[in-house]
Amino acid sequence: MTVLKAPLAGVRIADFTIHAAGPLSTHLLSQFGAECIKIESKTRPDAFRKPHAVYGRMSAATFDQVTANKLSVRLNLKHPEAIEIAKKIVSISNVAAESFRPGVAQRLGLGFEVLRECRPDIVMLSLSSCGQSGPDSHFAGYAPLFGAWGGLGWMSGYSDGPPVEMRHAMDHSAGLHAAMATMAGLHQQRRTGQPQHIDLAAREVASAMIGEALVQAQAGIEPQRVGNGDLRMSPHGVYLTDQPDRWITLAISNDQQWADFQKIVGHRCDDTRVSNAEGRLIHRAQVDQMVSEWVRPQNADQLAMRLQEKGIPAHVSWSTQDLAADRHLQERKALQWVSAPGIPERLAVGSPACFSSSPDVGIRRLTPELGQDEEYVFGQLLGMSSAHQAELVSREVIW
Amino acid sequence: MQSDDALKSASTPLAGIRVLEHCQSVAGAYAGRLLAALGAEVIMLESPTGCPLRFAPPWFDDSGESALFAYLAVGKQSVVADLHTDQGRQIMAAQLGHCDIFLDDTPVRQRALLGLDREDLSKRFPQLVHVSILPFGAVGPKADWVAEEMNLLHAAGEGYLLPNGLSNEMFPDRAPLKIHGHFAGYQGGATAALAAMTALWTVPATGGQYVDVSVQDAMLLVGAFAVQRLGDGSVEHRATRKFRYGGVFKTKDGYIELLTLEDRQWNSLVELLGRPAWALEPALNDPLERSRRGDEINAHIRAWMVLHNAEDIVREAQKLGVPVGKYRTPLEVTQGEHERDRGLFVEAIRENGSPFEVLLAPFKFLCSPLMGGGKVPALGEMTKEFRV
Repeated sequence: MTVLKAPLAGVRIADFTIHAAGPLSTHLLSQFGAECIKIESKTRPDAFRKPHAVYGRMSAATFDQVTANKLSVRLNLKHPEAIEIAKKIVSISNVAAESFRPGVAQRLGLGFEVLRECRPDIVMLSLSSCGQSGPDSHFAGYAPLFGAWGGLGWMSGYSDGPPVEMRHAMDHSAGLHAAMATMAGLHQQRRTGQPQHIDLAAREVASAMIGEALVQAQAGIEPQRVGNGDLRMSPHGVYLTDQPDRWITLAISNDQQWADFQKIVGHRCDDTRVSNAEGRLIHRAQVDQMVSEWVRPQNADQLAMRLQEKGIPAHVSWSTQDLAADRHLQERKALQWVSAPGIPERLAVGSPACFSSSPDVGIRRLTPELGQDEEYVFGQLLGMSSAHQAELVSREVIW
Repeated sequence: MQSDDALKSASTPLAGIRVLEHCQSVAGAYAGRLLAALGAEVIMLESPTGCPLRFAPPWFDDSGESALFAYLAVGKQSVVADLHTDQGRQIMAAQLGHCDIFLDDTPVRQRALLGLDREDLSKRFPQLVHVSILPFGAVGPKADWVAEEMNLLHAAGEGYLLPNGLSNEMFPDRAPLKIHGHFAGYQGGATAALAAMTALWTVPATGGQYVDVSVQDAMLLVGAFAVQRLGDGSVEHRATRKFRYGGVFKTKDGYIELLTLEDRQWNSLVELLGRPAWALEPALNDPLERSRRGDEINAHIRAWMVLHNAEDIVREAQKLGVPVGKYRTPLEVTQGEHERDRGLFVEAIRENGSPFEVLLAPFKFLCSPLMGGGKVPALGEMTKEFRV
């Protein structure tokens, strides 16, 4: 199963992660070529294989994207023999990743001290809401709670409104940071031959996203929620155009851009109070009002193009359909068309980086059926005979 | 470079790795900051007027120093080189000869003039990992487009989907809302750091290479769910992307977040609320029925929440296994018992010499703790030592 010309070809991950954040981290490494073995069981499938009505739908949630590329095996981790097999998978892997609640991996018999016995230089990733230590480490949570605990939710919002709930972008940001930390762990593994246990708390990723506000708070300043405003740029915001719910984003930082912007929208403001950047910041409410009126009759897409031609930061506020239709993202393979038997062609998110000499990155195969890759993993990698596997299935060890 | 035997026992993950950072954007600076936190030696190559982030808001009130720059530059070094001059380009070349990774966010069309051309650098430094970090990447029809954080959040689709939940309910006609600060830039930076280390992984086998990172792509990655939903046949919108019940609630003294995905969590919530009659209606045992009657359920929960203090709610909820968290202010985060216990913050030195506390990194390496700290470099503090 070696992937040619992918940067992480030859790296193997034993993947015990569930939900969104952990699976995204290993999925990302798999996009770069790592071989990722996802370990689940029929009795306890990844909770994201099943639907949750609180989202207002009965189809499964984020499972397909973050499970793409992965190999699937079943192991009933409540059975001691299954734990022994899981340890064998770890022994032939560079990385073991889990996102159980703190303490669960140890209770299962898959804690770091056990895994380093199986593989003396293992890089173990433990991704959780609040981390492996600390008074809140037992707290359960999901993306919106990470944002709340970490301070990002408080800082986001209209200045006269409540804090804002973070959604999957928060989960996936934690997963991205986890993949990054894991990659650092792999370098350390290769250099030192020593094991490493990485403890990533999703709420701390939310805090890292307000790192500058935390610096201010430590220095005795109370950071303010500014909504769509900015402390340096005006006009800076999201403005309605000639179609319903069609908005353009603008971020104008200097007088030249302001002059060019006025020319392009066909208006000129003679009020000397806003002729320079400092004045526009002081009178930002009036500037916003004026810009809103100027932009309102414009076509958003054409205006963005004209502003970009003059080097002015502008972009339409894109819906997901706009993304799907974008040639730029598809040329970059950031969006990738995928299909498989029984799965009509659809778009998925591909590699967020292009590598000049190891270009084979991205999605290679779609969501595996539960246990689809047991012949390869149990048979070829671990050397178990088919009869032995069948016997373990009959006793619900492989289950 | 990685050849020194002493490095085998060095404790930080990226000990011995040298990075040259020639960046003006938050994305580029955050990439360097993450690598520095992981133990790499990171040198900022600045123009004589300094990296613009030195002057970027927000600021420490008393000095005009940038709090954003302090967060992003702590632990790095600074060398000044004017890349418009031969001498400046020589300083850069001398540095690149000793570096493993080069982070650059210069717009593509300006690179040749400054000696930053991809092919040229690849020939001169065949072992170098050259990472380009641009708003829309270095190739593609929009490679030359310019963007600030606001534009990128919306170019990747997440901006259009915010705010959801209570904010959208309260202000349904307002413009979509930005996530605080530099969220998209940080995703770009984390992606660039990941991609840099990924390319570095292959250096022993295949030598250096060029890596093209786009902040838009990185933000799209973390917003991947909306693309998946589109493939499933539905289009997300901020007005409808809300939990049917749960979400943001006002309490007596602040705000909390509540989210129950599992039946057992719903049952525990009913306990938390004191088993009110409305919640005991048998029909509500069905998650689909709860979903249908979400507004009604939320009205009941809201009425209860405003009578209680956030800390009390969180304490009782977590005891019962109900996922609830308080919306904490930055000050509460910095003073948090949990964060203190975990050593999330470290002491460092500002450019003016005074101490300050800064978030070290959002991950811990338990077998060999990250060092962190250090100082915010003065402009060009290392230039003399690095003069060629």
